[in-house]
Amino acid sequence: MTASRRDILGPALVTLLLFCAGGVASWFLAAPALSAPTMSAYDIERMVLYYSTLPRLATALLAGAALALSGALFQQVLRNPLADPTTLGVSAGANLALVITSLFLPGLLGAGRDLVALVGSGVAAAIVVSLGARRGFSPYSLVLSGLVLSLWCGGLAAILTYLNQKYLASLFIWGAGSLAQQSWVIPVSLIWKLAVVSIICAVLIRPLSLLDLGESSSSALGVKLIRLRAIVIVCAVALAAFVTSAVGVIGFIGLVAPTITRLAGARRPAQLILWSPLVGAGLLFFADSVLQLVAGELGDFLPTGAVTAIFGSPLLLALLPRLKIRHRIQQAAIQKRSRRWDTKIPIIIAFSILVLLLLLSMFVGRGVDGSWTLVFGEYSLDILSIRIPKIFAVLASGAMLAVAGAILQRLTGNEMASPEVLGISAGSTFGVAIALFSIAPGFSGQFLFAVIGAIIVLSMILLGSRRSSFAPERVLLAGIALSAMVDAVVGVLSSTGDPRAVLLMRWMSGSTYLVDGMSAAAETVIAVILIATAFAARRWLDILPLGPAPSAAVGVPLARARLALFGLAGLLTATATLTIGPLSFVGLMGPHLAREAGLTRAMPQMIGASLIGGGLMVAADFVGRTIVSPYQIPAGLVSALIGAPFLMLMMRRKA
Amino acid sequence: MTVLRRSFLQCAAAAAAMMPKPVFAEMAGLRIVSLDYGLSSTLLSLGLPPVGISDLADWGRWVVEPVLPSSVIDIGSANEINFEILVQLKPDIILTTPYLNELLSKLQPFAKVVRLEVFTPGAGPILPAAIAATRRLAAEIGRQNEAERFLAHSDAFFESCRNRLSGRKLPPVALVNFMDARHARIYSAPGLFHNALERIGVRNAWEKQSNYWGFETIGIEELSAIKDPDARLIAFDPIPPDVLPRLADSPLWQRLPFSQPGHFSVLPPALMFGMVNEAVRFAGLLTELLEKDS
Repeated sequence: MTASRRDILGPALVTLLLFCAGGVASWFLAAPALSAPTMSAYDIERMVLYYSTLPRLATALLAGAALALSGALFQQVLRNPLADPTTLGVSAGANLALVITSLFLPGLLGAGRDLVALVGSGVAAAIVVSLGARRGFSPYSLVLSGLVLSLWCGGLAAILTYLNQKYLASLFIWGAGSLAQQSWVIPVSLIWKLAVVSIICAVLIRPLSLLDLGESSSSALGVKLIRLRAIVIVCAVALAAFVTSAVGVIGFIGLVAPTITRLAGARRPAQLILWSPLVGAGLLFFADSVLQLVAGELGDFLPTGAVTAIFGSPLLLALLPRLKIRHRIQQAAIQKRSRRWDTKIPIIIAFSILVLLLLLSMFVGRGVDGSWTLVFGEYSLDILSIRIPKIFAVLASGAMLAVAGAILQRLTGNEMASPEVLGISAGSTFGVAIALFSIAPGFSGQFLFAVIGAIIVLSMILLGSRRSSFAPERVLLAGIALSAMVDAVVGVLSSTGDPRAVLLMRWMSGSTYLVDGMSAAAETVIAVILIATAFAARRWLDILPLGPAPSAAVGVPLARARLALFGLAGLLTATATLTIGPLSFVGLMGPHLAREAGLTRAMPQMIGASLIGGGLMVAADFVGRTIVSPYQIPAGLVSALIGAPFLMLMMRRKA
Repeated sequence: MTVLRRSFLQCAAAAAAMMPKPVFAEMAGLRIVSLDYGLSSTLLSLGLPPVGISDLADWGRWVVEPVLPSSVIDIGSANEINFEILVQLKPDIILTTPYLNELLSKLQPFAKVVRLEVFTPGAGPILPAAIAATRRLAAEIGRQNEAERFLAHSDAFFESCRNRLSGRKLPPVALVNFMDARHARIYSAPGLFHNALERIGVRNAWEKQSNYWGFETIGIEELSAIKDPDARLIAFDPIPPDVLPRLADSPLWQRLPFSQPGHFSVLPPALMFGMVNEAVRFAGLLTELLEKDS
């Protein structure tokens, strides 16, 4: 029993430490009120203490505990040290559902807030878990899908807010997780929800511990695996949904707390599930009280959730090497090899559709009075000179993203891999954010900063993955962890309500607004060069999906080939992101549709993907330009809106 | 009292319109497109309605007065104006602000671009900046006389508000927009509304300086920093639907002096990021409110 006592000592010490530190910090917050002389008539200091400071501390404790418990449950049941409500997209799903509801069906929010959040996080969890199930709950694939979903939901929520609210950025604040309180309503409602789930967990601890013995032994001991997993996941999802519905997205606590607990010595599942919530409570308690002190000094509004995400996402990076990664052979390689005419027909069809779309997009528009018009007469040249650069810019970007997606999917054998997750678009976004908030340059300056940001992130990722000879999984996860961090920074910036955040949002929403003839021409030329380079690498792309050993056997220099291909995908993504933003999802859809059409080998797939990706973006641009004219919806957002249902459809078909 | 303010805005526009022809005859029929609400409403007061403005659809939600003529065409969001429509409007002048700097090179081929700055980091109070910008705008479009008349009218209006309120026991006021049930934006120096308060002799209850737009994002509990028990809280529409019921349930709110009857009022929308007309509208709305109550 000495061993287990030592196991408990560590987490207990950590918990004690966090509570003490948080206690000291919150003493500084509460002390002025407590030391103030009590007046009987009007004692606002004390009121603030009772109804704002204390409920806020209580909310921090409860939310921290709930998120940590949720993370510990996810990690235990999915056997994945990186799982938590943030990395699985559960919090972001709840957030997106709430944003959509409050924008379009505000009446629902009064009573059904929790329900809406539950539906959102439930859908997100269903997507991620069912994707994971198809890959045998591979930890890597699960977290990758979750983070992609998480980023996508976060981005979409931010953009919807930006498009709908001119001066009020309340949804930003709440999406970024503010713990400010004015009553006990939220902590009280959280406490009984947390209590109910904790009781269920207490019952489940024993069968959960048996999971560690491995699937066959635990089934032999009478654990009904599927039902157990389902119940635990529902509990974890519900916890995350409750917290999100109450205070917004608090990033990464569910990842950090169980990790600390484990590092402090808790080894058995029961210990982990018991101590993680305590550590999590202490952690958020400490973080929030320190943040309040700091924010008081700065006189600025800082949402706690986004700040925890900024500090939490680097931990994700640090944890990457702990993941066990197996190489997976691309599914498509198993498929029947297509006959010759099979590859030509889809390409011809895709090409004809693309041409039709281009014609439609060029010559159809809306007039001053809102009527649909063909371009002719007095202004036709002017209008065409405005329209055509945009059309070619989106065409080129769409094609580039699709090719980058094809490369990444072939490299990683993961159908969720898309250029967005490389972290390059995050780098560009970050570059633009810094540019806007520090020196406010013009468009060319922003462009420069975006490129520098993309290059820095790409080289960081590549340098960091050199040791693993650029194992695709690590490169992608590192990229997406960086994206999450950038996302958090952007969240902080947006929730301060600074009008410059709007410019950043426009950047992220993938608007072709600032494209002109020069940049469109440059982009098209770069696209042609890069895509041609990708076509030249078709042999590597055919061989690498077969796995490291066969590739080496036929003489492909593994590390160098991967480095070159990642670099190429990075360049493609960076150039494309500059025009259509980080969220377009074309890089996911293009290669997929191409493969669905029977284009399985590298060359036909890349040709098909670039045609389809370009066509999708041209269509998205056309819809965005005309549907609510004179207002315009960014092309990147339109294609993201298509991308979401596409994602679901894709999973239903293959599930 | 609404009549008074409205008639001011109408008179200002009408007087400008009836002025003798401007010195530069060719400027009479200038086709102007404005990408900023404050500049658009200033144009109306200078008697030269724009042919197109951005975000026309939301005018009634944020600016309300002065009323735009129906001939004005919407050219899309200021963040993303519709160039195809802009080109068909054949503008002579496009009015813009430094926030749209990145657009300058794209707007220049269409028309002469006039950039006017009201909200500048570190530049101090907004209302004087707005007055200076009004004069610069007038100089650009040859309407200096109208501008002086308009500014004199607005000065007189602020003065009349001050006179109407003088002799009353005026509470200090805190000006907010509720963002949700837990957060608000509060307006203070050097903002436009703070300057308007100074002009009509009302004290701002929120004494902290804020950013150069004149606002600060706060948690509702921070309103307790306002110590004066007589202070009034004034919120502008639009208020999100669930805010007021949830505030009513909050014990903290119940203990704040603002929850006492008569200490909290809601004003119709008024644009805090506007120019002289918006300050006038706010001053008028506030004066009416304070007159009615005291």
